[in-house]
Amino acid sequence: MPFPSKELTGRPERSEKDLVARCQAGDVDAFETLYRSQAARIYALASRMAGSADEGEDLLQEIFLQAYRKLGSFNGNSSVGTWLYRLALNHCLDFVRSKQAKMGKITDTLDAEASVEPSAKRETPIARIDLQRAIERLPAGCREAFVLHDVEGFDHREVGEMLGIAEGTSKSQVFKARMKLRAMLPR
Amino acid sequence: MHPNELTLNDYADDALTGATRAEVERHLESCEVCRGVVDDLRAITRATRTLTPIDPPAAAWLRLAAQIRREPTAKPSAPETAPSSIGGHLRRWGWLAAAAVIAIATVVGLRLGPMATRHAAPASAPAVESAPSADAQSVESELRQAEAHYDKAIKGLEQITNAGQGALDPKTAATLQKNLSVIDQAISESRAAVQSEPNSEPAQASLLDNFKMKISLLQDTVSLINEMRKGNDAGAARIVSGLKNKGE
Amino acid sequence: MRLRLSFVLAGLALGTAAAAAQEPGAHAAARERMAPAVSRVATHAYQGRDRGQDQTERFSRKIKLGRDGRVSVQNISGDITVTAGGGDEVSIEAVKHARGDQSQLASVHIDVDERSGRVDVRTTHTARNDRVSVDFTVVVPASASVDVKSVSGNLKVTGAHGVVRAESVSGNVTTADTPQLENAKSVSGDVSLSGAAAVSDGDLSASSVSGNVIAKGVRARGLDLGSVSGDVTITDAACDRLSVKSVSGSVEYSGGISKGGRYEINSHSGDVRLVLANPAGFELSASSFSGSIRSELPMTIGGDADRRDRGDAGHRRGGMNNHSMQATYGDGSATVTVRTFSGNVVIAKR
Repeated sequence: MPFPSKELTGRPERSEKDLVARCQAGDVDAFETLYRSQAARIYALASRMAGSADEGEDLLQEIFLQAYRKLGSFNGNSSVGTWLYRLALNHCLDFVRSKQAKMGKITDTLDAEASVEPSAKRETPIARIDLQRAIERLPAGCREAFVLHDVEGFDHREVGEMLGIAEGTSKSQVFKARMKLRAMLPR
Repeated sequence: MHPNELTLNDYADDALTGATRAEVERHLESCEVCRGVVDDLRAITRATRTLTPIDPPAAAWLRLAAQIRREPTAKPSAPETAPSSIGGHLRRWGWLAAAAVIAIATVVGLRLGPMATRHAAPASAPAVESAPSADAQSVESELRQAEAHYDKAIKGLEQITNAGQGALDPKTAATLQKNLSVIDQAISESRAAVQSEPNSEPAQASLLDNFKMKISLLQDTVSLINEMRKGNDAGAARIVSGLKNKGE
Repeated sequence: MRLRLSFVLAGLALGTAAAAAQEPGAHAAARERMAPAVSRVATHAYQGRDRGQDQTERFSRKIKLGRDGRVSVQNISGDITVTAGGGDEVSIEAVKHARGDQSQLASVHIDVDERSGRVDVRTTHTARNDRVSVDFTVVVPASASVDVKSVSGNLKVTGAHGVVRAESVSGNVTTADTPQLENAKSVSGDVSLSGAAAVSDGDLSASSVSGNVIAKGVRARGLDLGSVSGDVTITDAACDRLSVKSVSGSVEYSGGISKGGRYEINSHSGDVRLVLANPAGFELSASSFSGSIRSELPMTIGGDADRRDRGDAGHRRGGMNNHSMQATYGDGSATVTVRTFSGNVVIAKR
């Protein structure tokens, strides 16, 4: 069930500064306001990267707790949303990397599965919820590249840096993900 | 004859130029199959761009808030519980209390915070006592705070289920109601036990377990109702996968 | 080739044997009309005016499915029975039942979606308050994964070796010989499993709200079973992690305890009985508010820190305070936690 995400009211800069100051002073209610304005975006990133809503929720928690603790070092050079997003992204990347360490690195090879049989034109539009579910089911490796490139909008060079892979590998992983999605989504 | 799929992918991304691009375009003019691949890839990219942020479950904030309140710099809005020798035990309850409350608070427009317990039990006092001194009292007040949170969540969920019962077939609605009563019965028994023996761990544990069970069943009932309402009756069966006794 | 077809089945459905005889012809005709791009085949059935009688229509389809394919059937009202057969084909037989007007049969569509490695069957009800149910009998290749769901219908899956999931809202769920059972659930029905194992390294979940959960012959890393008012009975089980919960139902676990495993059983008012044959050593932590706790296994009372030489297990009953038993059996490597409110706890030896 969705909750209304509270927008920061008033002149953005001013109220954001106040909000951050109150959070830094330990005001939990103020932190809640910050949470409500940012959580949806962070949760989306985390659950898509992790491939599961449950892990996404755990990551969301860790990220915000970390944010609460590190707010003291937030210097106001960017908006708090951007700062939080970067923190979240790094946290998700750490998570992904440690998972990979257990499961083996992403390689460049495309397995046979990726090739899809020729088929008739898609009839039904892609429903957002089907897409969301399908993304969660993508295998680790191509999923993160896809989320970072197609969802979050980073280019292949940036994705490569973040995931520790070559730019070309990022490209082929994103392609692999798209083909898998194509196979998974109902027509 | 057909360009390989990676090439089609690049084409779909408008990443091809010059002669290669022209070649692919020529091929696409007469090849329905490759056109299908390109169209699909573009449909996926388009759809992906429409993906929006996702609201996390409301329980997430409560759990987080509980953790933050334990941070040294945090200034909680609710009175602090006195440190106690059963410290670890209390912290566990704090977590449970937070975990219990769900989206409801927002749905019914209520601010989260302690409130008087709903059921008028004999030893009932306002949910949160101020600065309890003795260990036993802080145990009780922590428990009452947990109860209050659970009660609030349960009340909100019940409102929703009552409003939505029509969406469920009568037999299922009756089964769910009956089992909610079974849990309610268990909750009363646990409550009475806690009142008569506040220090009994089994009593306390059973009360909290039963609350969790009730919340879990109510949540799943709400999901089932939502699915039924959407007219997606087949989807309702998918929800059943959540209809279990949720433990940890 | 991927095909998407939905059928509104032809056939004179007069609810008699004669109708069945008609069927092969109608079926063949329908098949001939199929072409890759066709999305719907509609033929008009005879509009019978037979109110109150059971009207039926049959539907039959065979689809080739390679190794390790996936078959899913989603139904709203009606039973689904899936059996593993030899061969590489999925054979679907469906019977629509309608009470009353023949034309009601047409309001329910059976969609069959075929893709490489997958066959998905769904019923769609286009009219509200129709009283049409569809019973499916499906035979799948032995290696297939099976996913069946019905809102009000009984489910039965036998012998499929792929990943099996079966969920009903108000029907019974029965599985047999499923070496990769992921979950079996119902709200008001009973859930019965026999000869089940979990997907490698995964958990096997089975639960009901008001029904009983009966598991016989289960092997899994993790077993997660529960009911609210139903009983949970597990016999011949081997697992490393166990979680069983019931509120008013009783729980019986008759199976193994493996070295280092974690076993947790909760019931509010139901009795809990553990019947252990040659268990690995475990630390027992049993507590009840008003129920009694008894162990027939020779255990050392107290945990590691508090070892006292005892012969037979201690036995506590009655009283107003905590009923609890902390005891160690053997090397205490596994952890067994049993909690009830008023139910009695018995740990028996096999």
